[in-house]
Amino acid sequence: MRHLIGSVAVAAVIAAVASFIENEFYLRTLFMICVYFLCAAGMNVLLGFAGQKSLGQAGLFAAGAYAVALLTTRYEIGPWLSLLLACGVSAVFGILIAMPSLRVKGPSLAMVTLAFGIVIEKVVTEGSEVFGGAMGIYAIQPLHIGGVPFTMLQWVWFGLGLCLVAHLLLRNLLQGRFGRAFLSLQADEVAAGAVGVAVYRYKVLAFVIAAVTCGLAGALVAQQNQYINSDFINFHLSIFILLLVLFGGSGSLYGPLLGSVTLVIIGALVARWTWIEHFVNGALLLFALYAMPKGLAGVFGSLFRRFGLGHSASRGAEPSRAASKLPTRSLPQTAAGSLLTAGSLNKAFGGVVPAKDVSVNLTVGHIHALIGPNGAGKSTFINMLTGIIRPDRGKVTFLGQDITQQTVHGICGHGVARTFQNLRLFKDLSVRENVLLGQHSRMQNGFVSSLLGLPKARREEAEALQKVNNILQFTGLLPYADAPAGSLAYGLQRRVELARALASEPLLLLLDEPAAGLNPQETAELGQLLVRIRNEGMTILLIEHHMDLVMSISDHVIVLDYGQKIAEGAPSKVQADPRVMEAYLGTSVEAA
Amino acid sequence: MDVYLQTLLSGLAIGGVYALIALGFSITFTTTKTLNFAQGEFIAFGAFIGVTMLLLFSGLASTTTAVPSEAASAWRYPAAVIAAGAVAGLMGVLIFLLAVRPFAGKGGMNWVMSTLGFGVMLQSIGLAVWGPAPVMVPSPLGDDVLRIAGAGVRPQELLVLACAILIMVALDLVMRRSRIGKAMMAVAHSPQIASLMGINVGLVMIGAFALSSGLAGVAGVLIAPIASASLFMGIGFALKAFSAAIIGGLNNPRGCIYGGFILGVLESAVGLWQAQWREIVVFGLIILVLAFRPAGLFGQAAVDKV
Repeated sequence: MRHLIGSVAVAAVIAAVASFIENEFYLRTLFMICVYFLCAAGMNVLLGFAGQKSLGQAGLFAAGAYAVALLTTRYEIGPWLSLLLACGVSAVFGILIAMPSLRVKGPSLAMVTLAFGIVIEKVVTEGSEVFGGAMGIYAIQPLHIGGVPFTMLQWVWFGLGLCLVAHLLLRNLLQGRFGRAFLSLQADEVAAGAVGVAVYRYKVLAFVIAAVTCGLAGALVAQQNQYINSDFINFHLSIFILLLVLFGGSGSLYGPLLGSVTLVIIGALVARWTWIEHFVNGALLLFALYAMPKGLAGVFGSLFRRFGLGHSASRGAEPSRAASKLPTRSLPQTAAGSLLTAGSLNKAFGGVVPAKDVSVNLTVGHIHALIGPNGAGKSTFINMLTGIIRPDRGKVTFLGQDITQQTVHGICGHGVARTFQNLRLFKDLSVRENVLLGQHSRMQNGFVSSLLGLPKARREEAEALQKVNNILQFTGLLPYADAPAGSLAYGLQRRVELARALASEPLLLLLDEPAAGLNPQETAELGQLLVRIRNEGMTILLIEHHMDLVMSISDHVIVLDYGQKIAEGAPSKVQADPRVMEAYLGTSVEAA
Repeated sequence: MDVYLQTLLSGLAIGGVYALIALGFSITFTTTKTLNFAQGEFIAFGAFIGVTMLLLFSGLASTTTAVPSEAASAWRYPAAVIAAGAVAGLMGVLIFLLAVRPFAGKGGMNWVMSTLGFGVMLQSIGLAVWGPAPVMVPSPLGDDVLRIAGAGVRPQELLVLACAILIMVALDLVMRRSRIGKAMMAVAHSPQIASLMGINVGLVMIGAFALSSGLAGVAGVLIAPIASASLFMGIGFALKAFSAAIIGGLNNPRGCIYGGFILGVLESAVGLWQAQWREIVVFGLIILVLAFRPAGLFGQAAVDKV
């Protein structure tokens, strides 16, 4: 609430000051700051939060600008409606540019977005019949009130209003469930899927947000100038939008503001010489990457902290004194004993066959252990259960439902959570945020309620925070809640990953070598923790090499060797099995 | 019939240039896991350094907008090609040290943006030195159209094709036979293990960037007599070369070469039908390839171990 009043007050003061400015150039500069702030605010979601390097934002700017131009001149649709439709058109282009991101990653994706920008530039330059090429489109209808076109001052006010709205909405969105989900994409897509984030959907959403704000900015420029031509749309615009975010501070809520104010002013100072302007932008881009990886926002942030101005926000409700209980979901009545059944799973990577007719039945409330020599196919088995690897043949049934072909996040939604053999934490996020991400699939607030900051979104967030605090207390991580997960000792990191999995309130917990790298003391503690988790009603399947741990806590042991199940049963029975001894110790000549 | 032959030959020529640049992308990607997003500027700089060298060698002022045809005769053109390759190679070392090495291997792919920023600076400098106007560059073999089986071919196209094939065969041999090549392949496989085997990984990476940029520079001079030199020519070539690398598979140098030729011929064939559709068809093809075979036609999908 304080933030809302503060932001409105700041915008009102700027608007009031602007009304005393008579110089057209200054007003226009102010207007351009607003325009670029819009671009940067959306781009920050895409680049700073979701971590997608889009180098073709000029194409989206063009989509908005040309949409409004064509709609008002060709189809004679009113300027206000056209502006709205232009946002819709840009959103469609946003989906278009997001499509390749579903298949390619990293540098190739960056190059594809670059190509997208260039193609749009080519289309508007060459397609002179529709887009007017270098001649451009004249007589674009400006926004008006009662038939009187906006004055420059009104444009500034309108721009300020849009910026205010964009800032407040995106802040709502980014500070909660959606912001965390975007950050998880940037950190680790596989882990994001495993905690229940619908990776593709969120990626497309980030692209669409950036597209709408960029398109809106383009449409504003076209309407304010009442003219657009292909010179507006060039590669340097894409670079400039990228620079706005990086220089201002990518991933910071105030970065876009700082970036657009400073860079537009610098741009206005050197605008007389085009090539110098571009040179300066290139140099600033390098400088920002070198000297201030968190941008101006990061620099100011550390200055504030040094002078003790920053407030250390202690988030979250006080943990209840009583021994905390894990949040759990209730098991459906239909489940009679059997929780998950894997039927004849097969998988081959070329000549390596990590799964050959593996059938397993997991019983409600048991701790199952999956053991076997290295390369036996244990991790592959868990990957097949969680949808990360698709089995070539076979079927996985969870609570009577076939989940073999379901998405990773869908399987998580059913109540299957996992940890990874080689830790996949979101290292830059705090322990609490990591565990909150585990709550992602359990939270009900959708896009609209998060964007508008409706009571529902706040309630969900508060509830999640409460549950996460309970989990942190249950796992003994509360003292580290605000530390970046990557900064903890290895054993604690393993426990954070376990806590994150617990936060999705799973019915089945799959742990891939949870004791790897732990010392004997920590291993013993882990064993106790797992028993406590089982006593809360969760079923556990763990892969483990520490035999004393396995034998002391598990109810049922499954042994894999070369992708085949060679034994299963109670720990004592498995220990005595000659084939198991053979697999581990190689007593027979044919073995190995 | 001769029209088709003509299309095929000019497609192969332009494809050879794409192949050279694509090979450059592949070399840096395999050894350093980075790409030079300023490759386009290196192509344009290569062309202009070539132009400057031609004018210098023949003792002409360097401000003309067209190079007289005698300036490219005899030894001057080959010398200009080598000079452009060398200068671009040095610039490649520079971009590696300034914009790639500080960010490579860390998360966040900041090198994408730093190389882009470097490219923007380069282009601005180029504009300040050479101006925005395109420069006509003569071919060392003259501009008389040759007749091969009835098809008209510009001699420069044959020269480009021959040079590209020569360079690629030489590189392929170096890569597979020499110690340096083996060191590069080792670094491509795993920098850590390569350094444990006593290979100077840092040096190999610098070399990779020098080679990649040198190839782009050479490509710039080779293409200049066909496309005329312009500081804005680079990005189109770089993108198409990257597309070629995607088609062939970034991890597969030979695949990149095939990809370059495929793309060149395809582009040329589409141009036969509808010239202005060339770019759109080319990029449409890339999207198709990415959709069905993200690792390229000749590449192997990398298995992401979980």
